[in-house]
Amino acid sequence: MDGDGKRHRILMVSDFFFPNFGGVESHIYYLSQCLLKLGHKVVVMTHAYGSRSGVRYVTGGLKVYYVPWKPFLMQNTLPTLFLTFPIVRTILIREKISVVHGHQAFSTLCHEALMHARTMGYKVVFTDHSLYGFADAGSIHMNKVLQFTLADFDQAICVSHTSKENTVLRSGISPQKVFMVPNAVDTAMFTPSPERLSCDEIVIVVISRLVYRKGADLLVEVIPEVCRLFPKVRFIVGGDGPKRVRLEEMREKFSLQDRVEMLGAVPHAQVRSVLISGHIFLNSSLTEAFCIAILEAASCGLLTVSTRVGGVPEVLPDDMIVLAQPAPEDMVRAVKKAIDMLPGIDPQMKKLYSWDDVAKRTEIVYDRAMQSSKTDLLERLPRYLTCGAWAGKLFCLVMIINYLLWCLLEYLQPTEGIEEVPDIRLVYAHLESVNDMCRIQSEGN
Amino acid sequence: MKQRARVMSSGVYTYKHRCEGGVDIHDVYVKRSTFRVLFSYVGAAFLIANVLHALLSKERLCINSFWSILFSAIVTKCLQYKPVKKESLLIMPTFGVQLEETFGATFYSGRVHRQFVPIGKILKPLLNEQVTPVTCYWNLVLLLHGEDKLMCVFQNLYPPAKMMVPIWKSLCTFTNSGGTGHPIAPQPNVEHIHTDQDIH
Repeated sequence: MDGDGKRHRILMVSDFFFPNFGGVESHIYYLSQCLLKLGHKVVVMTHAYGSRSGVRYVTGGLKVYYVPWKPFLMQNTLPTLFLTFPIVRTILIREKISVVHGHQAFSTLCHEALMHARTMGYKVVFTDHSLYGFADAGSIHMNKVLQFTLADFDQAICVSHTSKENTVLRSGISPQKVFMVPNAVDTAMFTPSPERLSCDEIVIVVISRLVYRKGADLLVEVIPEVCRLFPKVRFIVGGDGPKRVRLEEMREKFSLQDRVEMLGAVPHAQVRSVLISGHIFLNSSLTEAFCIAILEAASCGLLTVSTRVGGVPEVLPDDMIVLAQPAPEDMVRAVKKAIDMLPGIDPQMKKLYSWDDVAKRTEIVYDRAMQSSKTDLLERLPRYLTCGAWAGKLFCLVMIINYLLWCLLEYLQPTEGIEEVPDIRLVYAHLESVNDMCRIQSEGN
Repeated sequence: MKQRARVMSSGVYTYKHRCEGGVDIHDVYVKRSTFRVLFSYVGAAFLIANVLHALLSKERLCINSFWSILFSAIVTKCLQYKPVKKESLLIMPTFGVQLEETFGATFYSGRVHRQFVPIGKILKPLLNEQVTPVTCYWNLVLLLHGEDKLMCVFQNLYPPAKMMVPIWKSLCTFTNSGGTGHPIAPQPNVEHIHTDQDIH
């Protein structure tokens, strides 16, 4: 933190950032933009995407390090434990970082960066964006990794109360250290249609990745039934994925080519134009920690029908959403209820969530993290021992090796030998000066 | 006409700036430990010994021989010594710039590699942040006409940014004036500039 006691220097770390697109990427981007506006310094670290490698500046002077480590599975870098230490250390020192903020439980780069940051004595904050199970092999493995990362952290953030409960149960951490900060929506981008649509034909919009987790199989059963019951209903399906074939098969089988329009992948800039062409937004996800998609739809004035899973029931008030169990017959019932509700819906945008609010709440978490006491390796090791009979010892060993590696790096390239980069705050500084100019002119007049 | 040189040092790097016969010369020297040269030879000998051992014991060749050669190749690569002791940038008014690499401390000693870039080809000099899988550093590069890649002014050395700023400013003045302007003359009384200067 700077001398004024307010300004943080934050490194956001995740394998998921633009040009990849999704909830985590949007969260990091919008949160960073709002934190920059609040006067903090924000730097993003992610892996290289194709030829996008090196340092890039995006909107608002947000600096992004695309580290040339190639992703190997689902946009994740290969877990190497120690090999990312030199680059993480260099970035932390040259950008004079005070808080390291990792995003997403299945980002290997995030876990490794948080581990290195803790070894170097930095304050770390972690945001969990997804829900996980407890029983399958993948979840057990993931939960153990999460337990390791969160064994020695300062504060954690979850995007809904359900997500907080899930994270606390999976990692065994104290709930007092976990904050709930929801996602938000860019209300300037997602605005309702200026003209109210006619209710002669009801358009139901679905925009999601067509994968199992997003309930594409549920759609295959719900769409023909809704089309059979309501002859005036038409579907627009946006998104792509492995389950798209099943949806197209369904369309052929029930001869619904003129009532189910398949758009394929929809670029984020065009999502609003698709949303405002419909009356109802249908979300069929089987698991969601928050679901930004329903927020975007509500912001565009659509009535939402969604599965009652994860943190979805927490997102919107009852007059803006109809919830159903993730079963075809209950979904059809919910769609029927939504069609009946439609004439009484006021499509005015409600400012329930804003990224500025998210940034202010996150700022409080950073303040809390900065207040936590500094601990050395010997004080931190017992925390890892509690992670399990064998796992605890293994985690301790990993941290000891990491500490020795840090000492070696300090010897080979001392901190003084790493050049610090000057702070560049282009856009907001410029905007502030323009605002000042306007104020001076108006006062003069 | 020869003017007094401007010198700046930081860590193992030393920067010298002088003007000779109207040519603006920026030299960056690096101090290398003699142990590094020795280690480099040890690494090469280790690799040769491993390869010869594998070739001479043909009947006992196995997968371990392959791993042994691979391991020795990695060790040799890590110990490899870059024999460049000096890199220079010569700004020649109306002509262009010349990049020079001077070798030393090995059998390459005294050899100089030169590369000339005509003024018409240079679009802009840039101070660029370069990111590798293990580190990131500042580098002075040239943006060239008709080339899809940037050209590094210092191919082998990584001098600190504070040493590259005066070189970058000289290049900016040179390119902005279309190559006809006079090179920036060194400040006559500055013998040594402290390393705690900020780059702004």
